[in-house]
Amino acid sequence: MLHFFDPRTDLDSEIDYGTPPATFDPTPDAELISLSIDGNEVRVPEGTSVMHAAAMAGINIPKLCATDSLEAFGSCRICLVQIEGRRGFPASCTTPAEAGMEVKTQNDKIGKLRRNVMELYISDHPLDCLTCPANGDCELQDMAGAVGLRNVRYTGQSAIPSHTHLDEKKDTSNPYFTFDASKCIVCNRCVRACEETQGTFALTISSRGFESKVSPGQDDAFMDSDCVSCGACVQACPTATLMETSIIDKGQPEHSVITTCAYCGVGCAFKADMKGDEVIRMTPWKGGKANRGHSCVKGRFAFGYATHQDRITSPMVRDSIDQPWRKVSFEEAFDVAATRIKGIQEKYGRNSVGGITSSRCTNEETYLVQKLVRAAFGNNNVDTCARVCHSPTGFGLKTTLGESAGTQTFDSVEKTDVIMVIGANPTDAHPVFGSRMKKRIREGAKLIVVDPRSIDLVNGPHVNADYHLQLMPGTNVAFVNAMAHVIVNEGLEAADFIAERCETEAFHEWKNFISDERHSPENTEQFTGIPAAYIRGAARLYATGGNGSIYYGLGVTEHSQGSSTVMGIANLAMLTGNVGRDGVGVNPLRGQNNVQGSCDMGSFPHELPGYRHISGQAVRDLFEDAWKVKLDPEPGYRITNMLDAAVEGSYKGLYVQGEDIAQSDPNTKHVEAALRNMECLIVQDIFLNETAKFAHVFLPGTSFLEKNGTFTNAERRISPVRKVMPPMPGLEDWQVTLGLSKALGYEMHYEHPSEIMAEIAALTPTFSNVTYERLDEEGSLQWPCNDETPYGTPIMHVDGFVRGKGFFALTEYVPTEEKVTRRFPLLLTTGRILSQYNVGAQTRRTENSSWHGEDTLEIHPQDAEDRGINTGDLVSLASRAGDTHLRALVSDRMQPGVVYTTFHHPETGANVITTDNSDWATNCPEYKVTAVQVDKLISETASSEWQNQFAEFTEQQIAFIDK
Amino acid sequence: MSENELSHLIKMANQIASNIGIGSTEEDCVKKVVTHITAFWALPMRQKICANMEEFAEDLNPIATKALLEIQANLKAA
Repeated sequence: MLHFFDPRTDLDSEIDYGTPPATFDPTPDAELISLSIDGNEVRVPEGTSVMHAAAMAGINIPKLCATDSLEAFGSCRICLVQIEGRRGFPASCTTPAEAGMEVKTQNDKIGKLRRNVMELYISDHPLDCLTCPANGDCELQDMAGAVGLRNVRYTGQSAIPSHTHLDEKKDTSNPYFTFDASKCIVCNRCVRACEETQGTFALTISSRGFESKVSPGQDDAFMDSDCVSCGACVQACPTATLMETSIIDKGQPEHSVITTCAYCGVGCAFKADMKGDEVIRMTPWKGGKANRGHSCVKGRFAFGYATHQDRITSPMVRDSIDQPWRKVSFEEAFDVAATRIKGIQEKYGRNSVGGITSSRCTNEETYLVQKLVRAAFGNNNVDTCARVCHSPTGFGLKTTLGESAGTQTFDSVEKTDVIMVIGANPTDAHPVFGSRMKKRIREGAKLIVVDPRSIDLVNGPHVNADYHLQLMPGTNVAFVNAMAHVIVNEGLEAADFIAERCETEAFHEWKNFISDERHSPENTEQFTGIPAAYIRGAARLYATGGNGSIYYGLGVTEHSQGSSTVMGIANLAMLTGNVGRDGVGVNPLRGQNNVQGSCDMGSFPHELPGYRHISGQAVRDLFEDAWKVKLDPEPGYRITNMLDAAVEGSYKGLYVQGEDIAQSDPNTKHVEAALRNMECLIVQDIFLNETAKFAHVFLPGTSFLEKNGTFTNAERRISPVRKVMPPMPGLEDWQVTLGLSKALGYEMHYEHPSEIMAEIAALTPTFSNVTYERLDEEGSLQWPCNDETPYGTPIMHVDGFVRGKGFFALTEYVPTEEKVTRRFPLLLTTGRILSQYNVGAQTRRTENSSWHGEDTLEIHPQDAEDRGINTGDLVSLASRAGDTHLRALVSDRMQPGVVYTTFHHPETGANVITTDNSDWATNCPEYKVTAVQVDKLISETASSEWQNQFAEFTEQQIAFIDK
Repeated sequence: MSENELSHLIKMANQIASNIGIGSTEEDCVKKVVTHITAFWALPMRQKICANMEEFAEDLNPIATKALLEIQANLKAA
């Protein structure tokens, strides 16, 4: 394979080049320009700064306000150079390299100028370097050394006409970092990072001249400002001004390990900064291709849960859930579990047990759990939490495009012209990608937001939606059909693309279907609530505005027609030719870190790894030969079916690794009834989560810091997870599964997770070239990664669809059965918030709860007024499934008739309210549409009946642990 | 057999028929529903709904009924 210079990949991520690489298309025809720096010839892409060019040649020009994650600013005047034939001393960061340029980066004159500038900086900087937390990692100190500063003539208050910053007070309001303004050199890097990298614009420079200082908001404390605690400012700060509290407390790390974040589906690469086996900081890794050096408050700071006192590190067993736990050895726990599972199967039949793989654990661990179920349990009753989030994505994209995955890289957003965000809230749920999206919007990309709520993207700092299509929950299919109707009836479709790339007969059948007047925006307005003119405008923009990309989330999938909407989205992309190149595509934003991977690894009951149906004889032969076991050709139970069968009494045993279905799954009372009916519930987790309170065997799990493996993010990127500390229970999760399998009589032999990946690669064509060695070399790989695409596949369906021809699926709008009535007149929709993650088991055990200590109910001012509700009032939230009490937040982000809450805190019981309605194709629950009533409570302390029972049960179960 | 589980299965079958049981001919519609349920429903689920479908015939929509009859026949033949 020919290789051309690519500034994105050919730069060393450990070097700060001072300014970003130039925009450059690495093709054979792309030309580089040549210049001389200190007598060295350097060849760089046009648009590269002199500073960047010098760094590429190994010449480090001193700098303070420059760093290569931010655009050149040219304020510090330390990076001055001389250029032959030019006057003065231009700043190398803001001077573009030109062909034939001769640059001198160092001589006596430059040295003197730099020392003078540095002297001024240091005149307003404390000289407490030995006790400063930045000692050992201070660019100011490094630069003072580099320029040879030996004397500071202007010291003390008396030497300076105005006051200095030396007596500024520290702002310790943020739990994770400290703002020490006395150390600030007003280089603006933090302000620019907040603007350019994060896109929040929370920081500014207040006042002028000597009075200048960094200010969150208008001289607010950080916690009172708009700061989202992403850490970009801390990362950018060259001094101790913005410093992690953990570094202040413990000092600089002594080694680092690159690993992958275990929070959302963005899959950010981080350096775990270590002291021995203690993680003292997580810093986003610039070489990470998903995050490009950025982070959010979860991945950057919320890792303390890994060593939280609530961790349970001993295996435990008990006969029934009204008994205390008994600590036992792993061996005994395995024997107890295996004996009970085998007993249940003897008594109730082979299909009476199953397992749930974790979308938070690694690919290797997930693969082993599904292998255990299929090989040791002898059935296909295996499922994963993707069932309750993105299973419609798998079904819908496989049906239409041929592969159960998103089509793009995250980098692709940089080339898009029109972004359509449907049922996703990237700035909260996928914040690092949200920042990249906002950056592209600030550069001029158009934005269509389709969401019942007014999410941050609709109207944020320097980001505004061109269209906010505020539809009623449950009407997504009517919306996508109306969009397609406009595009077809106005002749805006990409006819050549469709003729060449899609099934002709299916397209014509679909075209007849979609052209019908019932799909017109004028007709669907009665369902969606979206004015027809808005739909027409948005459809024209998406179809004709250049590269159109669709990003969607659980607001699409978690509906009774989730799969239909996914297919409708794929239809829109094919219809407009927006598939198969940079800047376009269908992009499911995955919820948990390894949802994509858990699906890839064969966690669904009807599919073996690589999305191959269990009924296929050839694929079963392959696995039977490798696993030395006979496989059941019938699909197994999905989670929802398992729970139904458990309530009914025919399903009695469940092995759950790293999931918390008692909190995360809908209709909590139904889930609890199912779990109470289990005769053997085995839970493997790092905490005694809500599900574990119903368990009979507890197997202690390990956090992502305690094991090796891989995660696969929403862009199909397989990234390494590296062990940085020993597993607290003694065994890593994959070893625990091996132990259980052996006790069940099916022994598996692996010495290291790399051997599990070798087996996955041998059995899965899309993974065949994935090895740990390749991952070490490349940093990460996007599947398919095989002989045809040895470096992975950033963009899918480039020359043709995976299924051959694209398939236009018919997507009739079928209204949900969940209807508002006089008794339940509002619709509840649920979602996430930035600082908390999923069921909150991890983030609630960190300082992230400073931002979101409880779930609240967002309600429109009109609905609130009708009920006499004010912000902070305790209200009851009731549906046909159950009721709970929580506090109200009156918000104009809501539309009338719709209320919203999160499900991060178990005592809230948000899922006591949600029903067991589900997607027609996949049984993905309809979390996003529940008819409810909200009433103000008179009592300030009242809990609902379920909440009282929950509190009592929780107290009892915690008392059963012998810590 | 809990009514709960069976009512879920009936609801699911009706949903499938409403969502993919659309197209040019009834035969095609039934075929799509049969294919979907056979591919994605566990065997005990298919057995349960087929064993009880006569009792709940009026709750099933026509396409779902025809599809389940075909699935029932397939189960008997297997």
